[in-house]
Amino acid sequence: MRARIVDKNDILKIVDILRKDHEVIAPFQGRGRDSFFDVVTDANRDQVKMHLHNPYYPPKRYVLPHIEKLFDIDQAKMDVKAAYVEPKRAIFGIRSCDVHGIYHLDRFYLGRDYKDPYYERLRRGLFLVNVVCTDKELDIDNGCFCMCANTGPASTEHFDLQLMDLGDVYMAVAGSPKGEALFADPIFKRGDDSHVQRRRSILNEVRKHFKLAVNWYSAAVRYITTGQVPEELWAQVGNRCLECGACTYLCPACTCFTVADRKVDGKVVERVRLWDSCALSGFTRMAGGHNPRRAVHDRRNRRFFRKLAHYFVQRELSMACVGCGRCIDVCHGDIGMPSVVEIIRRGCAGKENDSTIIKR
Amino acid sequence: MTQPSSNDKNIYLPKVAILDRVQDEIQEVKTFFWHFENPADQEEFKKFRPGQFAQVSIFSQGEFPASLPPSPTEKETFFTVRTVGSVTSGLHQLKAGDKFAVRGPYGNGFPMEQYYGRNLVFVAGGIGLIPLRSCIIYALANRDRYKKIQVFYGSRSPRELMYTQNLREWEKIEGFEFYTTVDRGDADWKGNVGVVGSLFKKPDVKVPVENTTAFVCGPPIMFRFVIKDLKDMGFHDRDIVSTLERYMKCGVGKCGHCCIGMAYVCTDGPVFTYEQIKKLGEDI
Repeated sequence: MRARIVDKNDILKIVDILRKDHEVIAPFQGRGRDSFFDVVTDANRDQVKMHLHNPYYPPKRYVLPHIEKLFDIDQAKMDVKAAYVEPKRAIFGIRSCDVHGIYHLDRFYLGRDYKDPYYERLRRGLFLVNVVCTDKELDIDNGCFCMCANTGPASTEHFDLQLMDLGDVYMAVAGSPKGEALFADPIFKRGDDSHVQRRRSILNEVRKHFKLAVNWYSAAVRYITTGQVPEELWAQVGNRCLECGACTYLCPACTCFTVADRKVDGKVVERVRLWDSCALSGFTRMAGGHNPRRAVHDRRNRRFFRKLAHYFVQRELSMACVGCGRCIDVCHGDIGMPSVVEIIRRGCAGKENDSTIIKR
Repeated sequence: MTQPSSNDKNIYLPKVAILDRVQDEIQEVKTFFWHFENPADQEEFKKFRPGQFAQVSIFSQGEFPASLPPSPTEKETFFTVRTVGSVTSGLHQLKAGDKFAVRGPYGNGFPMEQYYGRNLVFVAGGIGLIPLRSCIIYALANRDRYKKIQVFYGSRSPRELMYTQNLREWEKIEGFEFYTTVDRGDADWKGNVGVVGSLFKKPDVKVPVENTTAFVCGPPIMFRFVIKDLKDMGFHDRDIVSTLERYMKCGVGKCGHCCIGMAYVCTDGPVFTYEQIKKLGEDI
C-alpha cells in the first residue's frame, strides 16, 4: 500500500476531486449528538466534518437502500423490466467499522452461488474514503467496540483511500488502484519516516480511549456454536426485547429484506424490496399462520446465532458484527451486542458440561 | 417474448408463464398446468430435480415458493397449490390462458442418483404428497435402478386423497407396493382407517430397513410420529429424508427469512436428512 501526506487545509479538496465524476456522500453535523450522511453540494461542501459522531443511519443504504425497486411490470403486456441504478458514488468519511460492514455485505451478496445484480451495480461504482477515528471526544463514542471486532479504529483493508489525522497534516493511504490514482494530484505530497512514526503513536494513544475494549466474542462464539447457551438465558435476552427492529435496521452487517408489490398506476406494478428484521414476529410466519419462531427469545436467539455462530463466520469470512456500537445506543432493553455477549459469557462460564471437556 | 440477455442473470426476475388448464384436487387444492411463454425458458426449466421448488409470481399480489410435483421425466409442468394466503388465492382465480410468472428451479432437490440400488419407502400425509409425487414418478420411470418401492399415503378422509388418477394407476403397478389410509372413512371406504403409521403394523406389510431410504413429508404432527415409527423399526437418521417449508421471499439465499439454524432452506435445502434436521437446532 502506498501513502502520501495531505495538508490539513487541502483535505476537502479530495472531495472536490471526487465530485468531478462522483456523487459524493459525506457526514455532516446535525443538532447535538446527531449527525448524518448526505450528498455534498456546492452549498454544504464547507460543512463536511472530518471528526464527528458516527451517524446512526448507516452508510449501508448506499449499497442496500431501505426500499429498492427490483422491476416494473406492465400488467397488460406482462412485460417485466428490471430497474437498475448504477451510480458513480463516493462515500467520503466512512468509518472503519462501516467499511467492514460493506465488506461483509459484499461477501454475502456477491460471494455465493447467486450474485445479487442490484447490489452488484450499486457497489461497482462505489468509492470508499475511510477516515480513521482519532478524535477521542468526537470519533470515539461510549458504545464503540471496533477493537474487539477487529475492524478499527484504523481499517487495514477494503477501502479505496484512507485518511488519518496526524495533527497538522493527514496521511492518505491507498487501498486500491483507484485510490492510488488520486495521488497524481499535487495536493498529495511524499511523507517520511516521522509521519509513519506519528501514525503509529497516535493509533496507540487512541486505542487507550475505547471504553469498551474487552468484549468476549471468542467465548460467545464458542458457547453459541457448541449449543451451550441454555434456553433460560435466551429467554432472559428475549424478555428485554421490545421487538422494534431498530438493531437490525441500523446494523451495518444485517442483510435481510422482504419483497412487496406496489401499484404505481392502473397499468404498472413495481416490485420492491425493503429492509426486514428478524425481531419482528411476522418474519417467519407462513401463509396459513404457522410460525416456527413464535417466542420472542427464539427470534433474538436467531439474531445472535446468525451473527456469531462459527459456521457463518467461516462462510462470510467475518463475524456479522463490526463493533460500531449502534445497537447499544438504540436498544431500549439494553441487549446490544456487547451486553448479550456478556450475558452469554457470564451465564455459560464454568457451566460447560464435563463430557465436552473430557473429549477435548 | 424473449428476455434481453442481461436480464437472464438477474436472480429476482421471473419469467412469464401461461396457464394451460386447472384441475381440482381436493377442497382448496388445485393443480395448475402451465408452460413458459418462451420455449427456451421451458427447456431450461425442465432440467429440475425432484424435490426442488419454484417461485410463483402473481403480479400485484406477490410471490410464493411452491414445490414441484411433476417429475422431470414427465412432459407437463404443473403446481399443486392450496389457497392459504393472498398470492395463492390470486393463483386460484386464474383461468386457462391467463399469464403469471415463475422463476426457478431452486433448492437442492432429492439426490435420486445416490439412492440407486436402494429400497425406497415414501411416507406422505395430506398435501405432503405434492413434493413426494415427483420422486415417486421419477423412481417409477427409473424402476430398474431401485429395488423395492413402497408408498404409504394417509389423508384425513377419502375425499381428501389427492392425485386420484395417479393413485388408481399406482394400485395396479406390479412390483410397487402402494398403501393408503384415511383418518376417518366413509360409507364407500374399504381401505385402512387410522394414521399413516398404522399401515406399518399391518400383517401383510413388510418395510425393508436395511439399504433403504425413507422419504417423509406431511404436517408437523404426522412427521413427528412417523419419525418415531421409523426409528423404532431401526432406521438410521441419515436414511430418513424430508423436505421443509419456510416463509421465503427470494429463494436464492439472500432475504434471510428461511434460515433455520445453520441452513438456508432455499439453497441448502429444502431437502434434508433427519440427521441434518436434528442438528439445525430450531423447530421444524
